[in-house]
Amino acid sequence: MRRWDLFCRVVDNFGDIGVCWRLARQLAEEHRQDVRLWVDDLTSFSRLCPSIATAADSQRVGSIEIRHWSADFPVVNAADVVIEAFACELPASYIDAMARRELAPVWINLEYLSAEDWVEDCHLLASPQTNSRLTKHFFFPGFTPRTGGVLRERDLLADRAAFDSAAEGEFWSTLGIPPRSADEIRVALFCYENAALPELLRAWSEGPQRVRLLVTPGAATAQVERWFGRVFLGAGPLEADFLTAHGLPFLPQATFDRLLWACDVNFVRGEDSFVRAQWAQRPFVWQIYPQAENAHRVKLEAFLACYLAELKVPGAAEAVRRCWLAWNFGGEIAAAWWDFAENRQSVERYAKDWASQLDQAGNLANNLVCFVNGT
Amino acid sequence: MSVKIAGDLVVGNVIIVEGQPVVVMNKQYNKSGRNAAVIKVKAKNLMTNRISELIWKADEKLEGVILEKKPCTYSYFAPPSHVFVDSEFNQYEIDAEVIADLEKFLAPDMTDVCEVTFYEGTPISVVLPRSIIREVEYTEPAARGDTSGKITKSAILKGTKHEMQVSAFVEIGDKIEIDTESGEFKRRIT
Repeated sequence: MRRWDLFCRVVDNFGDIGVCWRLARQLAEEHRQDVRLWVDDLTSFSRLCPSIATAADSQRVGSIEIRHWSADFPVVNAADVVIEAFACELPASYIDAMARRELAPVWINLEYLSAEDWVEDCHLLASPQTNSRLTKHFFFPGFTPRTGGVLRERDLLADRAAFDSAAEGEFWSTLGIPPRSADEIRVALFCYENAALPELLRAWSEGPQRVRLLVTPGAATAQVERWFGRVFLGAGPLEADFLTAHGLPFLPQATFDRLLWACDVNFVRGEDSFVRAQWAQRPFVWQIYPQAENAHRVKLEAFLACYLAELKVPGAAEAVRRCWLAWNFGGEIAAAWWDFAENRQSVERYAKDWASQLDQAGNLANNLVCFVNGT
Repeated sequence: MSVKIAGDLVVGNVIIVEGQPVVVMNKQYNKSGRNAAVIKVKAKNLMTNRISELIWKADEKLEGVILEKKPCTYSYFAPPSHVFVDSEFNQYEIDAEVIADLEKFLAPDMTDVCEVTFYEGTPISVVLPRSIIREVEYTEPAARGDTSGKITKSAILKGTKHEMQVSAFVEIGDKIEIDTESGEFKRRIT
């Protein structure tokens, strides 16, 4: 068993800590590794993991040691394996501790997920460090076997397969959401502030299909409440003709997964929910993390090209593409949505094939452990 | 020694990696989404000749090297090294393996002025002039009727026994101009 130090800075939102927390648990629970997770923002972390004591410098959750990564970094021994998540800079004193070890640690920079071609060429390349004998390796998650893959818990696919209509009914009941009616479509909404959302809400409210919208906390809830001109009160929904919207509490990761399994279409964002939507095997619409001058467009186009390559049903790939582009960059979102909805059955069938294909890349935690064992 | 920012590297730069000088042969810049910009480099270790692919964040500070260079002429082969001499008759030995690509043009009587690169006083590489003149020691007789130069044949160079393709009209004893970068025949001189 190796000792792992995993460093995470919460830049904004919950994506970074979401990925790190999943990875830490997989390493500890599935690979029996000794994991210490350093997080600079325990308050954000506590939303995902309610048992976190936000004022504690050190605590344990299960077998994982959680340390608050404060500006005044303590003197500690460096671990056998060090992961800096998303190119966060490690404390200088910690790098010194790494350099002092007799056997240099395996140092990995875990990058953001991308489908761009160059990722395959850069995955696992060495990055020798100046002024020390340390070498970092860049680990790129991705969608092909020549990348690091994406996170998937060992039992995820079995749990997903076991989530039948009875389990779904029970799930809705625990959330206080009414049972399904035959004429409605259920949509999960998890997004950044999105200029296309008001137009989409209008389109949903005008029908002809009934839409029951499950709105996650944060930017999605704020925008939906603004559009309705009312706030969510308890379990009571907001309604406008064909649209019924429910405000959800912050859901733990496992419950959020089930929300994605239970909905007909999932609007997701960033990285963690984006991956979970793919494992959910449902049609989804991705809002990529927005950047100045549409710098994120290349990354979105790269994923679309990869994701839609084998979707051969006439019109379906174009419907997905059109809807995603309108959602991210503006355009006729209402028309794009109804076109997407019309192709929903084809996209759903394809989503299962895509999940199988994704599984071929191997899961990220396994790939990391294999790499470390091979060094 | 100097500081080099990874993003500013260009082909031909020499940097220190794991205590040894490597020369940048190829550089690729990648940046997308939230990923930090990264620089992928194909580099050759000047001490071992080993080629490797490396990666750095674009803003990473690397250890650059300001190399000393001297004009020298080739003197002789003293296994396992080739010996070069500067204008003050100082001799410098360079491992034959390191300059294996050049051996085909190294002849004891050559007068070409080469550029020898030094790292901390040790010669680590040699660059020949872009063009050199060599004599053809043997080639088959010219094919009659074609003087366009498009048809080629083999020729063996005097001194090195290197075999290369030349134009069909080249004859034994001719002096030819060679491009040392591509290794190709350029023209007949005499």
